[in-house]
Amino acid sequence: MTKEKTIQITIDNKTIDARPNQTILQAAREYQIYIPSLCAMEHLSSYGACRLCVVEVDGLRGFPTSCTTPVEEGMVIRTDTAEVKGLRQEVLKLLLSEHPASCLFCTEQDECKQYMGTIRKVGATTGCRYCPNDHRCELQQIAENIGLTETSYPVYYRNFPVEKYDPFYDRDYNLCILCGRCVRVCNNVRLNGTLSFKQRGRVTTIGPAFDRSHIDAGCEFCGACVTACPTGALSVKVSKWYGRPEGQVATTCNYCSAGCRLILQTTKTDVIDALPDYDSAVEHGIICVKGRFGITEYVHSPLRYGTPKEMTPAGYNDISWEEAIAKAAGKLSGLKPDDCLIVVSPQLLTEDLFVAQQFIRQVTGSEEVASSFIFDLDGDAASFINLALASEPFETIEKAQGILAVGFDSTYGYSPIGVKAKQAAQAGASLMSLNSFESNLDLLSKIAFVVNSSRWADVLDLTMSRMSKGKAEKRFADLVEMWGSDLNKTCETFSCSSHNVLIVGPGIIDSPDRGKILRSIERMKNEYSWKVVVAHQYTNLAGMFAMGACPGIKPGEMIKEASADKAVVLKAELIHIDLRKKRKLIYLIGDASFDSLPECEFLIYQNALPPQCSRQPDLILPVSLFTEASGTVISAEGRVLQVKEAVAPYMDSKPDWWILKSIAEKMGKGKMKFNDVSSIQGEIKKIIKGFPAVKKRIEFKEIEVKGNVKTHGKGKPAAWKSSYRGIPLGEVVSGIKVIELKGG
Amino acid sequence: MYRDAILKKFDPRLDNILFILHELQDNNPQHYLANADIEKCADYLNIPYSYVHGVVTFYSMFSLKPRGRYIIRLCDSPPCHLMGSESLLDYLKKKLKVDVGKTTADGVFTLEITSCLGICGVAPALMMNEEMIGNLTPERVDTVLEERRQTS
Repeated sequence: MTKEKTIQITIDNKTIDARPNQTILQAAREYQIYIPSLCAMEHLSSYGACRLCVVEVDGLRGFPTSCTTPVEEGMVIRTDTAEVKGLRQEVLKLLLSEHPASCLFCTEQDECKQYMGTIRKVGATTGCRYCPNDHRCELQQIAENIGLTETSYPVYYRNFPVEKYDPFYDRDYNLCILCGRCVRVCNNVRLNGTLSFKQRGRVTTIGPAFDRSHIDAGCEFCGACVTACPTGALSVKVSKWYGRPEGQVATTCNYCSAGCRLILQTTKTDVIDALPDYDSAVEHGIICVKGRFGITEYVHSPLRYGTPKEMTPAGYNDISWEEAIAKAAGKLSGLKPDDCLIVVSPQLLTEDLFVAQQFIRQVTGSEEVASSFIFDLDGDAASFINLALASEPFETIEKAQGILAVGFDSTYGYSPIGVKAKQAAQAGASLMSLNSFESNLDLLSKIAFVVNSSRWADVLDLTMSRMSKGKAEKRFADLVEMWGSDLNKTCETFSCSSHNVLIVGPGIIDSPDRGKILRSIERMKNEYSWKVVVAHQYTNLAGMFAMGACPGIKPGEMIKEASADKAVVLKAELIHIDLRKKRKLIYLIGDASFDSLPECEFLIYQNALPPQCSRQPDLILPVSLFTEASGTVISAEGRVLQVKEAVAPYMDSKPDWWILKSIAEKMGKGKMKFNDVSSIQGEIKKIIKGFPAVKKRIEFKEIEVKGNVKTHGKGKPAAWKSSYRGIPLGEVVSGIKVIELKGG
Repeated sequence: MYRDAILKKFDPRLDNILFILHELQDNNPQHYLANADIEKCADYLNIPYSYVHGVVTFYSMFSLKPRGRYIIRLCDSPPCHLMGSESLLDYLKKKLKVDVGKTTADGVFTLEITSCLGICGVAPALMMNEEMIGNLTPERVDTVLEERRQTS
């Protein structure tokens, strides 16, 4: 490795080594030399708008802004001369002349800080009305650092109405200082382009085109703008009621298989906000609305179960855990393996999944580890799993020359994949999007096919036939008529390129023709060597298969150690789960797929929120959610990602593994002597070396199904649209309901 | 669609945005950029609507409100001012029964003010769409307005 060239510069009489292409501000920050700045942000390009970072540089005229001035060899920079300080004070005064700044000069500022009595929480007459006072105001901080205690300019209040009509966050542009961070993050980082500056000069404002609401303007509600805002202009509707966060915990989002890192903001008992982590290797801070805004309302839903409950003729009765465990153990004892059906959610943590499969095998003696993804995919489960478990890492998309997205849309989910595809398209890759509705990739697509999913297989077949210059079959006639010439051009680039990526979205799972589509995708992968990236909502699907939480697959059996490893052979009747046969007992572990379930005498429901159906569970076991539990998930990329407990479990709720272990102990069956998560991880270490601190991506063997899979024929998959543990997010999170209604 | 014909004249490159917008505005019967114009331009250049909207609102030569068939831009720079443009403005306001920036009820004229048109030799002067008219007097203004009204 060659040593990187360094440039020597002097800041405030201190000689430091800077790197070429760094700005003065970046070099100074690396050496903890403080230069105030409001518009510069680490992952955004330089802008030079706020003028607070002015410095003196020998040989340069005037006062250059350090965020736009690149370092040069031998530069002599001074950041704290009296002149620079005076200039900064003046700049800040000008900034504050259009920003309500009573917090700086108010006689009651100390009380305000302590009690945070603002309009948001108390009556209008008792508090300062100007800002959310959430202690995240960089402007306040900078005024303190610069030492500004008075201002000489009259204050101009712009008197814009506060915009509260969009979900998730409010906008008070009276507090906006036009630093442009939100506009830049929206356009340059998220490649979305909802926000822009409007007008100019004194009347400049920020917002979408034509003064539309954000929801109408195609906002993805990723919240990047809210995170970027240095003032209180943008504030999260839910979080602002909790006041100031007391701590933060880095964890992994459990809402889909991408595995984005979230920095949860917490108080003693509550998770009040979730922020992106721009240093995360998985998604680089590109999180979606579900992770950013969908957590607080879900985990603190007023509907959450706090204690175990038992159905009685007069309704539900709260019972103690001893009673609940005894009841469950009693019902499970003496059952034949065929009499009970245990359904495990793919959105559990890896540790819970490991215990769940042990429970089913050791306690009930059954091999039927049912799961909602098997119900959803029916006869196509094996081919989908082969595709999903072999999904390429997201960075494969970065260097792609051709990209085809099938049933994929990243407006309200799968942002890291969607933004990567957009970046590649901007860099010149040919992007083609295939969906049944207009997707957010269409703007940058060479061709956007908006056709019913019954034709997707045709479009894929046509693409392949064009790539190999084959003759168009008759069934493609209408497609050729509509997109023929564009398609020829795009397929030309596809066939010239050695790096094509197929992005498979959750749309194919919902399609009744997924079998055909999956077969076409397999052909593209095998015959045309397309790399496949799969985005799906089964968070820990990879974890399920690694842990063997699937019928007929033993723990660790699916993990590939050498590339020559053979496929795992699975008998077709094993993955067929009979959903018509009446059972004595059904036990749902984190799942709520009631629509597909057969009739049963007794229903145990182990979850956090009530199901959306008429069949009432007979026994309810309340669980702690991923913000209250520790463990791991294995993402679509095969990464083992840590989930950390951010707050204590809600009321009397318990982790899934604890409940399962306790029932097994009560029944005196199985060998599940686990006291905590690390003891389970110790067991898993025998399957995955070094678990849970696994650096390497986990690779999987293929599944080979022997025989024909009988379909359960329970109709179309349950509504899986962004749900967690079987409960649609839209039912719990008010804003998600709004955006889903808009999407139709 | 006349808009597609306009777009075809330009390469879909971002640096053509101002040319495209001007041409769209000039060819709009009401001399303004309708939402449809902005959307067309954005779709053609593959950029967000908000970007184009931002550009349009930044430059004062673009209008987001419908304007008359003829846009009268009366010069109010010093030479024209000295030669009586101020009283001409009052006359025009009274005659057209509109304020600066407004359009007559019949949709024929929009009254606007402009900086120097560079024809100070014939001050006071105005610009009627693309045409320069100098040596203005109230009588001459009457004739010019009448002519335009006839042809419209």
